[in-house]
Amino acid sequence: MNEVIARPRTEVPLIRIIRRAVVAYAALASISLKSALAYVTANWLEFGLQFLWMAAFVYFWRAVYAGRPTIAGLELHQTLDYIILSTTFMPLVERFLIVEFGWMLREGQLAIELLRPVDFQINIYLGQLTGLLSSLLQKVPLLLFAWFFFGLRLPSNPLIWLAFAVSLLLGHAIMFCFGWTFACLAFYTTETWGLYKLQVGLARLTSGAMVPLTMMPGWLQTVCQSLPFAQVIFVPIALLTGITPLSQTPQVWAVQVLWLIGLLGFSRLIFHLAIRKVTIQGG
Amino acid sequence: MKRYLKLYGWLLLQQIKIKLEYPVDFFLSVISQIFIQGTGFLTIWVVMAQVPKLNGWNFYEVALIYGLLTLSFAVSVTFTSNLWFIGYTYIRSGDFDRLLVRPIDPLFHVVMDTLNYSGFGDFISGFILVIGSTLALGLTWTPARLLYLAFAVLTGAAIFVGTYLITADTAFWIMDSQPLTYSVFKNFEFAKYPLSVFPRAIQFLLTWLIPYGFASYYPASYLLGRDTGPMAWVGVVVAVVLLFIGRRLWFVGLRRYSGTGS
Repeated sequence: MNEVIARPRTEVPLIRIIRRAVVAYAALASISLKSALAYVTANWLEFGLQFLWMAAFVYFWRAVYAGRPTIAGLELHQTLDYIILSTTFMPLVERFLIVEFGWMLREGQLAIELLRPVDFQINIYLGQLTGLLSSLLQKVPLLLFAWFFFGLRLPSNPLIWLAFAVSLLLGHAIMFCFGWTFACLAFYTTETWGLYKLQVGLARLTSGAMVPLTMMPGWLQTVCQSLPFAQVIFVPIALLTGITPLSQTPQVWAVQVLWLIGLLGFSRLIFHLAIRKVTIQGG
Repeated sequence: MKRYLKLYGWLLLQQIKIKLEYPVDFFLSVISQIFIQGTGFLTIWVVMAQVPKLNGWNFYEVALIYGLLTLSFAVSVTFTSNLWFIGYTYIRSGDFDRLLVRPIDPLFHVVMDTLNYSGFGDFISGFILVIGSTLALGLTWTPARLLYLAFAVLTGAAIFVGTYLITADTAFWIMDSQPLTYSVFKNFEFAKYPLSVFPRAIQFLLTWLIPYGFASYYPASYLLGRDTGPMAWVGVVVAVVLLFIGRRLWFVGLRRYSGTGS
């Protein structure tokens, strides 16, 4: 009798567990993709806004270069290509988990998330990854506009694109782990808006979203290199625009992998410690 | 009018009391806002360290433009930022009905519910920039200049409020107006630099359609003794027109309002 009951259990192989996990995560991922695309009007507004924002920077930089062939070793077209891409990708450093964590705490959603039979961090990461992919898709028309109006030049060498894509994904994962660690502060402070703003201010300056890091004075470059924000904006875009030559790709990836390993371990440790502090409010 | 002023004073006092209940939150908000403005300005500093002049404007002159814009924005956001969220917090939730049954103007009520203290951080940042840049430029603050500064900041703030109000009115039709307010507001990015660096179309946009130029470039030019003609003074007319349109549109929307049933 016991044998009959036990048999199916021994027949559940690893592959089935993995398949079940994949199905569960894929379903969760598709939901966040759908909800991102649901707000059509908001997306169009964001598009117009991003284009204007980009135009402001293009004209600003043209005025800066007036009569100057290079600034800090960069020609105008290089800087413009860089700025167009960096302002396009800037939202990547402006979405932070801390506000979401604060909300989950207040609404009691956190308890539900923790009860789900999937890893909380992987679940949220997949949501962010599909968020990245859908926002990249939405950027395609913007970059076409930039090519048409501002002469944006993109490389034709597929190896450069590969170097960029891997670097962007690594950078995104690094930012996720950093955001995760930072968001754990919400478990202690419960106030999140001020912390969120501190993070945004720091990210805008040190990610290289507004100015190529190579133009900054030495001390500021050192500060930027020692913070993770540059890994998702400056590092991949410098590869794409040729500021960092393709031959340096292995070193760039290696540094990013090190960042990722360090921050991943750290983020899991901090969450493990912080979650003990949690008092779920309301619900 | 007198009754409203009295009410406003009283309610503002209540708002301040509420905010002071959470002093840490207050300070964190102010400090992080100063920090955000500081990093934004540091970006301009990095660029201006590479080039001595931007279309004929030096670093301190650009800083003055930035400072004036920040001051106007600070005043507008401190006292009226609820207009940003009218769709989301009042209309969508049905909370707006509560305001309609009170014996005061509902628009006044929405505005009155605001005291956004992150605006204090903007104000401090703008103040430091204006004072610092004018000191560096050797500009003395005569009473006439001080009066003009106050005039320019209030005009600029009124222009900001006008754009918030007109876009907020759309909430009566589209429910959540915040994305629209935000995308119009974002054009202030252009107004941080001398308008003369932009092509004519954008200069026109920032002077007559989304007239943030009156909060930054034109008053800065005037204070620096550059020739602006009547543009140093036209801003106040533009502000009044904007506020008037915003108010008319508000009444049109209000007549259309039927609640969300929530």
